[in-house]
Amino acid sequence: MGEKVFLGLSGGVDSALSAALLVEQGYDVTAVYMRNWSRDLPGYRCPWADDLADAERVAVTLGIGLEVWDCEEEYRRTVVDYLVDAYARGLTPNPDVMCNQTVKFGTFAERAFARGADLIATGHYARVRRDPATGATRLLRAVDEHKDQTYFLWRVGEGAFSRALFPVGDLRDKAEVRRMCAERGLGVESKPDSDGICFVGPVGIRTFLLDTLERRAGDVVEWETGRVLGHHDGAFLFTVGQRRGLDLGGGPARYVVSTDVERDVVYVTADPACPGLWCTRLDLSDVRWVSGEPPADGEYLVRTRHTGALRRARVEAFDGARARVSFPEPVRTVAPGQSAVIYGGLVCLGGGIVEPDEVAYNR
Amino acid sequence: MTSAGMASGFAAAERVAGGAPAPVREVYLDYAAATPLDPRVLSAMEPYLTRCFENPSAPYARARAARDALERARADIAHLMGAKPDGITFTAGATEANNLAFAATDGGVVTDAAEHESVLACAKARGGAVVGVGADGRVDPERLRAAIGPSTQLVSVELANGEVGTVQPVREIARMVAAVRARRLAGGSRVPLWLHADASQAAGSLSCNVTSLGADMVTLSAAKVYGPKQVGVLWAGEGVRLRPLVRGGGQEGGVRSGTENVAGAVGFAVALALAQAGRAEEGRREEALRSRLEAALAAEFAGMVVSGPRSPKRRLPGLLHVSFPGLEARRLVVLLERRGVSVGTGSACAASHMRESHVLNAMGLPPEVSSGSLRITMGRPTSVDDIDYAAGQIADAVRAEMRRMGLTPEGMLDRAGGLAAGRRR
Repeated sequence: MGEKVFLGLSGGVDSALSAALLVEQGYDVTAVYMRNWSRDLPGYRCPWADDLADAERVAVTLGIGLEVWDCEEEYRRTVVDYLVDAYARGLTPNPDVMCNQTVKFGTFAERAFARGADLIATGHYARVRRDPATGATRLLRAVDEHKDQTYFLWRVGEGAFSRALFPVGDLRDKAEVRRMCAERGLGVESKPDSDGICFVGPVGIRTFLLDTLERRAGDVVEWETGRVLGHHDGAFLFTVGQRRGLDLGGGPARYVVSTDVERDVVYVTADPACPGLWCTRLDLSDVRWVSGEPPADGEYLVRTRHTGALRRARVEAFDGARARVSFPEPVRTVAPGQSAVIYGGLVCLGGGIVEPDEVAYNR
Repeated sequence: MTSAGMASGFAAAERVAGGAPAPVREVYLDYAAATPLDPRVLSAMEPYLTRCFENPSAPYARARAARDALERARADIAHLMGAKPDGITFTAGATEANNLAFAATDGGVVTDAAEHESVLACAKARGGAVVGVGADGRVDPERLRAAIGPSTQLVSVELANGEVGTVQPVREIARMVAAVRARRLAGGSRVPLWLHADASQAAGSLSCNVTSLGADMVTLSAAKVYGPKQVGVLWAGEGVRLRPLVRGGGQEGGVRSGTENVAGAVGFAVALALAQAGRAEEGRREEALRSRLEAALAAEFAGMVVSGPRSPKRRLPGLLHVSFPGLEARRLVVLLERRGVSVGTGSACAASHMRESHVLNAMGLPPEVSSGSLRITMGRPTSVDDIDYAAGQIADAVRAEMRRMGLTPEGMLDRAGGLAAGRRR
């Protein structure tokens, strides 16, 4: 019997194939379905019974055990509450980043190791490489750059990666993953990719926020002139760069430049060249480095959106978990609350949370 | 050795075959969840879905056929229940009928912990008293009586439980309720007290004569007796004033608005007539199938736990509830679905929430036992060959899982404790 691996099995394609590959590689695999928080309200269809049934079919096919772990409390506390709180403060959070840190590589990893796991595994598109000389573990982008999920993994530390396996991170692309799933008769190969925030489901984040946060109507104001163009149900519903859902009754396309949740104002512009929509600098807070140590100041690759462009930028790390990213030329403003993730070549070094941009705010 | 190599022969065989090979035989054993439409029911419904489609409330002569069919269906169902037609209200299924029964009263409600979710949810919304049940799922009339307070207006007890098959002593409860009512009248209290019985799961094998039940309101469902889904009735006795939950055009005496489901009502009347006419013989047949399956499985697994009353008179004839302590029922369902055998893990509601069954909890079954539970229900199309095939497949699946988990027969017996079939005999 090989090393003991606890694998997060979601009922989706990626973790299903991961399970099969680990079994084929001779690991002693225990699958775990992590039951997360879901909103128990009319209108919110909870999909997890179907997902669990799929996970169960995969586990039975592979002849491995499947346990259901209740992660509802951690998920609600560290992901849902974080998300709601961030939106209430006018930020646009990445809940998946928190879920990876606190649930998958937090609670799940701790419980797995406490149960005697040698390794943990998930269906993430990412790679880990161990440097035999230094003993260090590095997080690398997946072979399939279109599916790479390291953007969501930057808050997970080296300690967790050093005992983690990502079996699909080395595969060419999603089509290959689906084909390999089908070959193995896992029965999930045609499931759609799950995008978006799992607990919100098909109702969408807008409906979720309107059900959760108090509506605070206010004005939609032209950034350049201060002219009131329309009204909104809550500044927390809008994010920088957003074009749709402004409901301004015709006229040119307008973009959200910034939101002010204190005064309930949403600033918009019709000018794509508006300075508020562009920036050359990102100030990051709550910075984490995978290795625990900041890299030397210098040129790195920076990504501000899942699978978004990798841009060259100068990165300087400061005390107090802060950092600054400077682009050689203007880039589209990044919504505050989003993650900026820093790479040295293929290696994910870490990242931080984007602070509100002073150009957009100090008009 | 790899994990795949360690996997049971059962699971490994599936893998070699590459996905899910077509099963040798399809055996559906979840008739408590849903029944197929009887062909005779379908042909009775067909004219009212096509030719006689008119709105029963329409003023022209052609609509008369639809109106007459609806009233004939009402009269037929009333006759089958030993009741008057004007006591019958058609609803969209048993859940709605149960909700309607609760809406007829304002005061306190008393029910038991093994009821269907629809009754428990109504009781919870009203802050009702929920009394426990015995280890065999039976509710003790005395416990219900003790829970009735001066403001209690409704007692709701199902005629038969759909998860473990327990038949409740409704007649006895009716006598108890009548006694409380008589005492209230004698004491000058004008607070009404009604007994509601959800007979949805029972109509295929027990009498639903309202006089012999002694209830004031009775719920029936077409979907459990080879009729259409989303068709039910609430019968209410003369003293009960129903109050609408669905308002609109005033159909069904103003109690349930919405254009009448004529085809559904016609189908229900035929389905109920067939069920009631054949119930004694079909009950005996299903009881024999159930015993055959129970005996086959008990002979293989001494640690198996059979839930529900031992006496055949006190349980539904075609329902076998078994638990394999230490195993996961969900895995057994997956293994069995690949062999063409469809069985339930409990009530459909419990399965979709993946919570422990509230019925098994109420019966005090330990979680280690209840998590390995299958609810196997037979129906009219079930044959002896189906049962023998299913028995073989269930035994294979259980053995495969025991091997995978390294669970010995002795281990299962230990986990079952005093509940094991092998020890009860």
